[in-house]
Amino acid sequence: MTLLFKGKIALVTKIILLAGISAILLMLAQSALARKEYAIALFLLIAVLAMNYVYLTSRTVPFKFFLPGTLFLAAFVIAPIIFTLIMSTYNYKTGNYISKQEAIQRVIALGVEPDEAGTTFDIVVGKTKSGELAILASDTTNNKYFISTKSERIDLNPADLTLNADKVATGAPDFVRSTSAQQASSDAYTKIKYVYEGKYFISVESLEAGAVFRQTLEYQPSTDTFRNLLNGTIYRDNGKGNYANLKKQILEPGWRAPTWFSNYEKLITDNHIRGPFIRVFIWTVAFAVLTVLTSFGFGLLLALALNKPLRGRRMYRSILILPYAMPSLMSILIWAGMFDTEFGAINNILNTHIAWFSNASFARAAVILVSLWLGFPYFYLISTGALQAIPSELLEAAAIDGASGRQIFSKITLPLLLQILSPLLIASFAFNFNNFNLIYLLTGGGPKDQLGGQIAGATDILISYTYQIAFGSNVQDLGLASAISVIIFFLVAGISLYGLRKSKVLETFG
Amino acid sequence: MKNRFLKGIAVTAVLAFSATGLAITPARAASEIVVWADETRGPNLASVIKAKGDWVPGYTIKIVTYSSFDALKDAFDKATGTSGPDIVVGGNDWVPTAAKSGKLAPVTLTASQKARFNPTQFFDLSYKGKLYGVPVDINNVAMIYNTKLVSSAPNSFGDMVNYYKANKAAKGLKAGLCIAGGGMSWGAHSVFSALGADAYLMSKNGAVNTVQSFNPSIFGANVKKYLLTNGKSNGFFPATDTGCKDNFLAGTVPFAVIGNWEWKDYVAKGFEMNLMPVPGVVDGTYGRMFGSVSGALLTTFADKHGVAAGAKSLLVNFFGSTEGQVKYQLLEGRPPAEKGAQKDASVSAGQKGFGSAASLAGIPQIGAFLNNNKGGANYWDSAPAYWTAVLIDGKDATIEARKLAKIWKTNVATGKGDL
Repeated sequence: MTLLFKGKIALVTKIILLAGISAILLMLAQSALARKEYAIALFLLIAVLAMNYVYLTSRTVPFKFFLPGTLFLAAFVIAPIIFTLIMSTYNYKTGNYISKQEAIQRVIALGVEPDEAGTTFDIVVGKTKSGELAILASDTTNNKYFISTKSERIDLNPADLTLNADKVATGAPDFVRSTSAQQASSDAYTKIKYVYEGKYFISVESLEAGAVFRQTLEYQPSTDTFRNLLNGTIYRDNGKGNYANLKKQILEPGWRAPTWFSNYEKLITDNHIRGPFIRVFIWTVAFAVLTVLTSFGFGLLLALALNKPLRGRRMYRSILILPYAMPSLMSILIWAGMFDTEFGAINNILNTHIAWFSNASFARAAVILVSLWLGFPYFYLISTGALQAIPSELLEAAAIDGASGRQIFSKITLPLLLQILSPLLIASFAFNFNNFNLIYLLTGGGPKDQLGGQIAGATDILISYTYQIAFGSNVQDLGLASAISVIIFFLVAGISLYGLRKSKVLETFG
Repeated sequence: MKNRFLKGIAVTAVLAFSATGLAITPARAASEIVVWADETRGPNLASVIKAKGDWVPGYTIKIVTYSSFDALKDAFDKATGTSGPDIVVGGNDWVPTAAKSGKLAPVTLTASQKARFNPTQFFDLSYKGKLYGVPVDINNVAMIYNTKLVSSAPNSFGDMVNYYKANKAAKGLKAGLCIAGGGMSWGAHSVFSALGADAYLMSKNGAVNTVQSFNPSIFGANVKKYLLTNGKSNGFFPATDTGCKDNFLAGTVPFAVIGNWEWKDYVAKGFEMNLMPVPGVVDGTYGRMFGSVSGALLTTFADKHGVAAGAKSLLVNFFGSTEGQVKYQLLEGRPPAEKGAQKDASVSAGQKGFGSAASLAGIPQIGAFLNNNKGGANYWDSAPAYWTAVLIDGKDATIEARKLAKIWKTNVATGKGDL
């Protein structure tokens, strides 16, 4: 066994493992470089170097243990936080996804219009005798044929051409048709504006057809503006990720542009967002607090009840853990079915017809009830463990001194329990503050008066509200959602830190 | 120590680079056209394209299949220049947002290529006057009636309600009419329309009235007359689609709106394709149902990959051709969008049934109006909200109809710029 950790076998094993992991990371780095994800590639390269340095030398023994965790922390916790923070300062939404350079190219590509007749031609791609890329165009309706390059158009006599059954020219003097393989190997011929008439040109629309267009928008790099060639309107970078004219009409697509604190400003100044945000925040805090209190209270009650000798105690304990053992996803969906107005078990048993998810109060009650169901086994388990950790001598001494059962609980058991469980209660609060699954699967954030223009539902918590803004409709606003996420992060961190300080848990650990 | 470290680094580096060399993904061929599709379309497309290798001479075509339509949408939303497809077979409602975000590239069809399709089908795949793909198949719904319960097709909405009321107890009916396919917004438009509320008003020549909306008083009155008793749901039309298909197949619902992608399930259970539009409140009129198309959409990535011309040829030669659609729909089983393919002898009774229902009472699905939420909510969210408000929450049908009309009117008025 010791051979695995010492000597040549250990060294060889280590080198093979390091080589394998390095290979995977280098492959990912290469892939990231190919996708121009330079930050990811750099991180992976640093990880490879750090890993080899740490494990092939003896200079940093503690880091042999810390390095994997540090790398994962950096990759999966710190990097997403930084990315979210950066994105919260961007105009990053539907219509503003790509880079500015890409957006300029797209606006140029879209800045064309067909001629009034929507003229198209059957074309054959090839080269002129001089080797210039050209198209052989056929207007079969008017029996007109011509060769066009980027600099000239040569009209042809039909009698000189090879025509197919549809009267499409497939060959002409001084024209060399490209083979299929040549067409497929290079797309240079698609980038050319082939001469047609006046300002109109022919664009290759497929391997067999070309269409007549004229350019309507022109980009001027020196001034970073677009000019409408038909009416002279100038479109400038509006600083928000779009080119816009004086009437604030924008050109699409836009790009991901830094707008600094505008997403945060929206939360404060935009009534449409601020109103729901405050309401959702209040409910989020209430939901998290109520869930922790009810789950802890009920779990502790059961733990106290089963902490005493009882016939069948082991069986009861097993049953109480069952909700915890079942995947929460399944439990939530089952509860959602049970709350159904028409077919749900709850209305059937109560002989009522309550629309649980249509009424705000009932929906909130249902959410708390289901979160209680999902949360109490956890608190029952940890309370049981904590109760057993309290020295029985303390309780016996108190009893001998004449303390009542209630006094023993309130003066000894509960304070000791809270000291042990405070970090877990705070962690549970933080978890429920962001308990997206429960809300999304049970109520979908509703009920919501869509017809009344509500954008947040009665049971929406901040994270589900954020999701709705980011992904809930056809129009996604990832920048705004990132700003809300950053606020959630600071809220949860702040509340948790405050709780930890108040409970003096950190001092205890220190 | 230093010596050992350097040796170790050298060995690790050699091994790592050797392994990397083996693992490097081969570069994509310059002449490869990549098509993304969902879990049903993908294998069928691959099969048809493989059977005839020269849809676009000189190019190879690779079909990438995703596990579901949602997974495909998710992947396309995240697609970038290097990873994205050249063509994606997706929903028409993807077009406005994907085009707005610069992910789709316009295509220009010749007159003869355009003539292969019904002009209204181009509505679905257009954004701001530019077309972004070719129609592949038609998505629509139709109402099926169970001939074991009702002997003949109903003439009006009232006929169905009267049948339900008369037979509810005796036949253990769970509802009269329900939505089995397309959900309470898309699928239920035919019911909205039958009762007098179209998402937008269209003239016979296809022009949209961007000024007026439906009449909420008439619609509200119809809802009260046919769907409510003393202000509460009479049970004829449930506010959700939960259990509708199962109930219809079990014979406890006589009328159901079903989707054309699932007609085989009904045939397998022994139902004949007794399909028709939802009848209106006046004899001989029908509720108009959305007829949308799925499209083969050209992406801007095709240009980056250097295959834009080849990809456009694939759109025209395969996805938008009679031969391509006939061969593909033989496997896929949806109504083809291309006119020649629609007339082909191989088109099944189910496909034809949906086609004829659509021709009787179809309305194009115009994303510029339906996806717009300038009115406070888009069509997809506001439509089911109406059913919930009236049929579950018991709110006044006419007051809620006025809110709905206001929302839809604003969405149409402000969405016309995106047409």
